[in-house]
Amino acid sequence: MTAGNLMTMHAVSRLRCWVIAPLLGAMTITSCARRAGCAGDYCGTVVFAAPGEPTTLLPPVTDEALDRDVFGQLFLKLADVGPQAATIGDSSFEPALAARWDWPTPLTLRFHLDPRARWHDGTPVTASDVVFTWQAYTDSAVDSPERPALQHIVAVTADDSATVTFRFDHRYPEMFFDAVYHMRVLPAHLLRTIPRSTWKGAAFGRAPIGDGPYRFARWTPGQSLELTADSTFFLGRPHIRRLIWRFTADLSVAVTQVIAGEADALQVLVTPANIVRAAATAHLALYPYPGSVYTTLSFNLRANGDSTRAHPVLGDAEVRRALVLATDRQRMAQSVFAGHAQVPPGPISQMWHALWFADLPVPAYDTAAADRLLDTDGWRRGADGTRERGGVRLSFRIAVPSSSGSRKQYAQLIQEELHLVGVAVSIDEMEAATMQDRERTGAYDAAIESWNTDPSPASGIPDAWITGGGGNFGHYSSLRFDAQVHAALTAETPAASLAAWHDALATLSADAPAVMLYALDNVAAIDKRISGVQLRPDEWWADVWRWQIAPGRLAERDRVVQ
Amino acid sequence: MSSAPIAPLAGIVAVAALSVATVGVFRRGGGPARARFLGHRGVSAGLCWLLFVGAVALLAPLLAPYRPSRQLDIVALADHAPSWQYLLGTDLLSRDLLSRLLYGARVSLGIGALAMAVAATIGAFVGVVSGYFQRSVDSVLMRIVDLGLSIPRTFVILVIVALAERVSLGGLVLVLGLTGWFGTSRLVRAEVLAIRSSGFVTSARALGATPWRIVWRDIVPNATAPLIVSAALGVGNVILLEAALSFLGAGVQAPQASWGNMIADGRDQLVTAPWTTLFPGLAILLAVMALNAVGDGLRDALDPRGATP
Amino acid sequence: MGMRVMRRALAGMLTVLAALTLIFVAIHLAPGTPFMPRGDRPPFDAATVARLRAQFGLDQPLVTQYGHYMSALAHGQLGESFAQRRPVAALLAEAIPNTLLLASAALAIEFLLGLAIGVFQAAHRGSRWDTALTNLTLLFYSLPTFWFGLVLLLCFGQWLHWLPVGGIVDPITYASSDWFARVGDRAVHLVLPALTLGLVGAAGTARFQRSAMLDALAQDFVRVARANGVSERRLIWDHALRNALLPYITLLGLALPFLLTGAVVVETVFAWPGMGKLAADAIATRDYPVVTATTLLATVLVVIGSACADVGYAAADPRARATASP
Repeated sequence: MTAGNLMTMHAVSRLRCWVIAPLLGAMTITSCARRAGCAGDYCGTVVFAAPGEPTTLLPPVTDEALDRDVFGQLFLKLADVGPQAATIGDSSFEPALAARWDWPTPLTLRFHLDPRARWHDGTPVTASDVVFTWQAYTDSAVDSPERPALQHIVAVTADDSATVTFRFDHRYPEMFFDAVYHMRVLPAHLLRTIPRSTWKGAAFGRAPIGDGPYRFARWTPGQSLELTADSTFFLGRPHIRRLIWRFTADLSVAVTQVIAGEADALQVLVTPANIVRAAATAHLALYPYPGSVYTTLSFNLRANGDSTRAHPVLGDAEVRRALVLATDRQRMAQSVFAGHAQVPPGPISQMWHALWFADLPVPAYDTAAADRLLDTDGWRRGADGTRERGGVRLSFRIAVPSSSGSRKQYAQLIQEELHLVGVAVSIDEMEAATMQDRERTGAYDAAIESWNTDPSPASGIPDAWITGGGGNFGHYSSLRFDAQVHAALTAETPAASLAAWHDALATLSADAPAVMLYALDNVAAIDKRISGVQLRPDEWWADVWRWQIAPGRLAERDRVVQ
Repeated sequence: MSSAPIAPLAGIVAVAALSVATVGVFRRGGGPARARFLGHRGVSAGLCWLLFVGAVALLAPLLAPYRPSRQLDIVALADHAPSWQYLLGTDLLSRDLLSRLLYGARVSLGIGALAMAVAATIGAFVGVVSGYFQRSVDSVLMRIVDLGLSIPRTFVILVIVALAERVSLGGLVLVLGLTGWFGTSRLVRAEVLAIRSSGFVTSARALGATPWRIVWRDIVPNATAPLIVSAALGVGNVILLEAALSFLGAGVQAPQASWGNMIADGRDQLVTAPWTTLFPGLAILLAVMALNAVGDGLRDALDPRGATP
Repeated sequence: MGMRVMRRALAGMLTVLAALTLIFVAIHLAPGTPFMPRGDRPPFDAATVARLRAQFGLDQPLVTQYGHYMSALAHGQLGESFAQRRPVAALLAEAIPNTLLLASAALAIEFLLGLAIGVFQAAHRGSRWDTALTNLTLLFYSLPTFWFGLVLLLCFGQWLHWLPVGGIVDPITYASSDWFARVGDRAVHLVLPALTLGLVGAAGTARFQRSAMLDALAQDFVRVARANGVSERRLIWDHALRNALLPYITLLGLALPFLLTGAVVVETVFAWPGMGKLAADAIATRDYPVVTATTLLATVLVVIGSACADVGYAAADPRARATASP
């Protein structure tokens, strides 16, 4: 296998030379000669096919996946969630910048920094860096997307150069998670002089100096970004010597690059067609892992463009329940994702596996029940088959971003299915920018929304579904649900918190403010020469520094000498 | 839904335009032109193909084995390879590709013909007015044309689509038509200038004919030839442009089928289900080839010395 | 003559200004804001967007914003990209060389190959080769470019592994390569996108060239030359070709601006970070300064291109001086 793989790669490069040579004359042939070079345990180049380019590598100003992908290798957290991404309590967390921690009082948490930690310019990482980091993340001038998640931390103080204490305003299950997960510690000595309001465009964000396993090497806009291993990294020398993100315009080019061997790793293949192609490629291994995205058909409960009155169709809870019943979500997931997606019991991704309660009353597909429900609710079929009540047609429009293939596919599947129970759906494909504007202003009936979540439901669910939540564009409002969520967030014990979440999801399911369509399974494609591969649902490449390539399996690109 | 009536209308316009163009050739050039036209390499093949596609598009409801947006079986029949039951296979939503191709012909040809009709009408009007009345009218109109030609068309269309939030089929026709008349108007203007300076217009004026009468009786019929040629060649361009727009996500909206958005839909399955991209691509290729062949024939028949680019 | 050049330049500047204003107004009026999270994040709430709009002056009346933009532009400032938080000038500086590389390669194929085929056909008019090439150029001329690009990508990148599947250099080896290897690497990446654009263009050129040559061959002075015993080869090369080349000055002036901005689709298929892609992405993300800057560049190019074409044409053909449009 290995030998065959290498042979193919050589054959490819020879062929390429064969193609160039006539173009440029014989002189180029010299450059196609095989390179000798790096050998042993610490060689290796991993090329990531990135369907997009980061905007900045300065952590507090951004939480986009493309940015986090890269700066996760450069900047450490105090501690990190383990492979299970459990967020409650502190027992499953792994030490990072902090070698250990303790709780002097129920409301204070003390971290002891690892004395070996160094910034890539040689300066030691100290407690004052941590204090500076907290100040930056909570500064309105920086406007960090993580700021709301840090609201319960009231103070961070340095006890001495290696000890730092966090103080909270109350006790709750995810205190430790909030203290360590959202912030990556920043080099105070390099950032202190840069005005915080200019951080979004700061030059530091395009040539950062961090303390992680990899150091910044170069960034060629529009093309690629390269990091090199820090051979003195205090938690252990990374085996892979170089990481390269190769930017492409979109997913299908990225997939083709991994299949053609021009890239080694792609974190998520999304469509069954891509999975089939990757599975049929000899040099690729597929790694399924829980996804962090959930997708819903969310209803606007207020009239399209007028939030002062109820939506004539979707404001009716019976209609919404009927729509849920009439949508065969299992079959749709089977069709669109070939089983690489699950139908969730609520607005939850696969990462929140603690919330996938088996006993939640999730309505099953049942068109007869949907028909009955609509009949008794007074919606009668009109001449063209579409139901009507009091002169109002049972019809609505679904907004869907033209950039998302799978969501467009779902919109068409839903349109056909609802047609069967006498509901007329039309589809509005629109640019993402336009769709977001419409959601904000309430100028829509229903929208297919995909939300990427972090490991804790505490940040995603309240924002999207409680009364007045910043992301609650459909104006769903239930005092009962709000109280249940509040109970879940403030419960003293993990068990009580889970019980409250269970009740909250049951309420949501009964009120049906959305059809919960799917929660994606992620499938990554990674070259087989790479071993020790671990993928984390919240940060795909978090463990890359532990990956390796056995000396006997090094490919040409692994040996390239700088 | 609201755009549904446009499809057959567009088909009718397409066929009508084709016949008008052909009749135009016969009336103007008489026997020799007709002979040149029909004897032209590719013209008869192109005409046959266009008539075939046009007929098929009009008769799509009778010919299509399935409703084009009907999902046959979203799990078992998605991306089904061509077979006796599904001659061209099915797409990722298990819709019969042949049925979609037939209905897509209405949309693609319809958009091409209607948008070109809009463009040719505006272009002819502006060209004639500009060429005949000259002076300030001419300079204002030609500055507008300069402006229109100065911004790349794809770019303008993307901005308009952004501005319009969502574009219906009729809207797309308008957008394509309103951004496509600049070149035509220049062509017609040049022709009008040439005719105007020729003898018979001068003599008509000497006989006391009103300007509008001269335009209508003498200039328009004589300026039609380049217009017809550029329109015939332009329809193919519009079809290609619609396909490119669909590829960029700004074309015909789902679930309506156009050849362009069928290619865009199939793009992700290019390797696993090549037929979903291949057949609509071939349909576009053949239709545009036929249009270009007929356009070439018309040009050669109407202007044996070759036409302007 | 001086007056005419002045008038022409003035008219060109007005055209650019009008185009810029038009696009400025249109893109600012388009729904949506530049402030959006990427990649499956919930949209920002209304308060956040309002705050960001105010921070960047987007809450002011459009006229005021336009005034600010124009005065900055007069000082040579193109502003900063919302999406990338970098000077627009830097984005253009990265995209333009990529685009120029692709455009010049495509243009070279388009004109050299197209010319060669057209001349060959004219020299062998009526032969089986002529017929075959006429059909072939008709076919290529009728191809949907992006579909052709996808098919090429599939064949040569995916199945045969001969050529890379997108991008402009190999990020793994490029930085550590010597000069020759770098040129080679760029060339290999250039082949498919340049062929996609170039072959379709070459078909158009060949079609045009063939009929232009046939026209020229039918003209009186060529007939006279033939009657005087000038060889067919010399007729083709000296007389007909020279005459038929004239329109190329115009075509070149018009084709270049198109290739610089109109190659959006091909750039998308091949992940080629050029001007077209930059402009299309900027429109989709409402990155106003980038949209206006690319419009500016495109219109300036078109205006200069067509002016050059006219001047060149007038210089080459004395007859055109009298009739060329103002």
